[in-house]
Amino acid sequence: MSKRWLIVVTALAVLSLVLAACQPQGVVKTVVVTQVVEVKGTPEVREVVVTATPKPEERKLEIFHWWTAGGEREAADAMFKAFKEKYPDVEIVENPVAGGGGVSHRVVLQARLSAGLPPDTFQTLGGAELKSYVDGGYLVPLDDLWAELKYADVIPKPLANAVTINGHPYTVPLNMHIQNILYYNKPLFDELKLTPPTTFDELINVAKAVKAAKPNMAPLALGAKEKWGAAFVFDSILLEVGGPEYYVKLYKGEIDVKTDATFRTALEKFKELIPFINTTNPGLTWDESCGLLVSGDSAMVIMGTWAIGYFKSRGWTPGQEFGAVTFPQKPERILLFHPDTYGLTKGAPHPKTTMDWLRVVASPELQIPTDVIQGGLFARLDIDPKEFPDPIRQELMTYVRENPTKLILDQHGSIAPFSFTQAYWDAIAAFVVAPDVDATIKTVSDLFTTYQVKEGAAWYQWP
Amino acid sequence: MEKRAVRFRLGETLVFLGPLLIFLIVLYGMLLWTIYVSFSDWSGTAPNFRFAGLKWYQLMVGLDRFWVDVRNNLRWLLLGVIPTVVIALFIAYLLEISPIRGIEGYVRTLILYPVAMSFIVTGTIWSWMYQPDKGVLNTIFRALRLDFLTSNFVNDPKTATLWLIVIFIWQYLGFAVIILQSSFRTTELQEMIEAATVDGASKLRILFDVIVPNIRSGLLILVSLLLISTLKVFDIVYIVTFGGPGYSTDVLAFFMFIATFQQHLVALGAGLGVIIFLIAFIVVIPYTLYAFQRWFE
Repeated sequence: MSKRWLIVVTALAVLSLVLAACQPQGVVKTVVVTQVVEVKGTPEVREVVVTATPKPEERKLEIFHWWTAGGEREAADAMFKAFKEKYPDVEIVENPVAGGGGVSHRVVLQARLSAGLPPDTFQTLGGAELKSYVDGGYLVPLDDLWAELKYADVIPKPLANAVTINGHPYTVPLNMHIQNILYYNKPLFDELKLTPPTTFDELINVAKAVKAAKPNMAPLALGAKEKWGAAFVFDSILLEVGGPEYYVKLYKGEIDVKTDATFRTALEKFKELIPFINTTNPGLTWDESCGLLVSGDSAMVIMGTWAIGYFKSRGWTPGQEFGAVTFPQKPERILLFHPDTYGLTKGAPHPKTTMDWLRVVASPELQIPTDVIQGGLFARLDIDPKEFPDPIRQELMTYVRENPTKLILDQHGSIAPFSFTQAYWDAIAAFVVAPDVDATIKTVSDLFTTYQVKEGAAWYQWP
Repeated sequence: MEKRAVRFRLGETLVFLGPLLIFLIVLYGMLLWTIYVSFSDWSGTAPNFRFAGLKWYQLMVGLDRFWVDVRNNLRWLLLGVIPTVVIALFIAYLLEISPIRGIEGYVRTLILYPVAMSFIVTGTIWSWMYQPDKGVLNTIFRALRLDFLTSNFVNDPKTATLWLIVIFIWQYLGFAVIILQSSFRTTELQEMIEAATVDGASKLRILFDVIVPNIRSGLLILVSLLLISTLKVFDIVYIVTFGGPGYSTDVLAFFMFIATFQQHLVALGAGLGVIIFLIAFIVVIPYTLYAFQRWFE
């Protein structure tokens, strides 16, 4: 009888040890081990109380990101190099998932998060995507860290707003990508004596002039396979027709698209532009659309700051083979942007190391090498724009420093919830192939109600 | 003693039952779980199992995209299966009656190659072929002065799905030919063909009146395998068009992926999974069961 007892009690003790080992590390644990010792048939019970000393946290950082493509991989390496320089003892465990914009990354990350096995930190865009993780309760608010770093003072207000949900900053942004940039083939523009367009009418005129001189060219390149390319062009038109306040209101779901004249005008203008766009657009990804400029099939493309890296990889020098202007510049010169950011997950295995990591993310030592390679602007305004090797980003950074409020969230770090944005891209991409204004207005208007944009985007504050 | 015997039998049974149980739990457990999630209110990154009734199904049937998907899936089922079987039948027969000895082996290898490749590879190759500007097909047509044959292929929302199905047919043709050829090679059938030839029947007559009625089991299994493959189509769409232009080439499986992981509407994604299951249940499963019964008869 007492032998059985011995087995049961030992099993319980082992089980409790195993369970205790499953607890998050760094917690002081007390384990009560009950031993039953058989002494001449009379059971004697001894209790031994073992108190573990707090174990120092392992210096390890598990990180999820999607910077795997050419140019991005080098930027990720620069990022980790900066971190290693400051904290050489930390072991970095990368979990990179390939796929531009984090399409596949989201699949893996979501699985890990909902299984309760979060990495320490993961890459996320600001805006709606970040909000979906905050709503899920996966991130820890970083008010203390931001206060410690005085981060809100060194970055533009709209950037801080993009990562602040319900009054708390949840991540540390390390860059800003600008969406509404028009790149153009400089030798061609010089040859045809064209000035880069900064308004819609100028764009149409330039497109006409290019078409007249080079009938085989599609003046404006577009790659809409990933769908968002079309929304980029449309955003630029919306921004000019409606102005910044309208743009924000629209994506906050405060405009009744069905009856709205501005939205209709913007679509009609977009329709006017479509004959000047390459018909191959549904099959091209964004880099392939930029490739049309290099191959001489197109003269212009509207693409984000990441295109600079692409053009350079094709052997083009900024200011020589290609130039860039933000588009549009009327009624105001607004930059549509999204940041790449990192936060601290709830239940992160190594919270202390992660906080060290976030401190480095916020530092110029990380931002300068990483952003110069990866293609965005610096999140910090106190870094010299001259750090950028190209005149395009030098000019953009200088503009942002002088006008830090002229930034609005773009399609990727969207204002509207992701469920809406994905469907909206489809609608706009379909419009390019079959430009039916009435049908598109109806579709988009339905999307706004179906995906409850008004409730989902209420968090966004601008300016 | 008796006790030990029971234990032994139990262990033996478990060896055989274990895999089956795991299979049942993984397959049907997940199926039930998906159905359960589709009735929950899970939208967003965090699980939310609050019962929402038909909320997400209502949203689903209100979406234009959903109906485009259903239409496309039906197209895949019909146009992916029937032409493949018909063309494969002719090719298989041609190989059988080919007068040149030895060529059959080469041709069969040639058309079997695509099956060995993944859709990711063939999809990429075909999207280069279909490229309207500089793609292989249009360039060839232009060079041959056959400009009327040039097309926008997968960039034309009206016909894009059909061009995707062409890829599927191309890829599965060799597989279909192999299955049909093997079903030609029964002694009875060969004797019947011989008899018909002696009687002076034409080659076509032999194909339709002698071969087709006698290879029913081969046809049944081929059709059911093709039905399953077309219903679960995802990779071709993902690689070649990403559902575009707009969502004109979208299929249920692709929308399920977008809804679950890009839109974070997990309940909607689960609901779409249930719809795919229902289609399979109504169309494919009864047919497959029937076909397998015939196969083993």
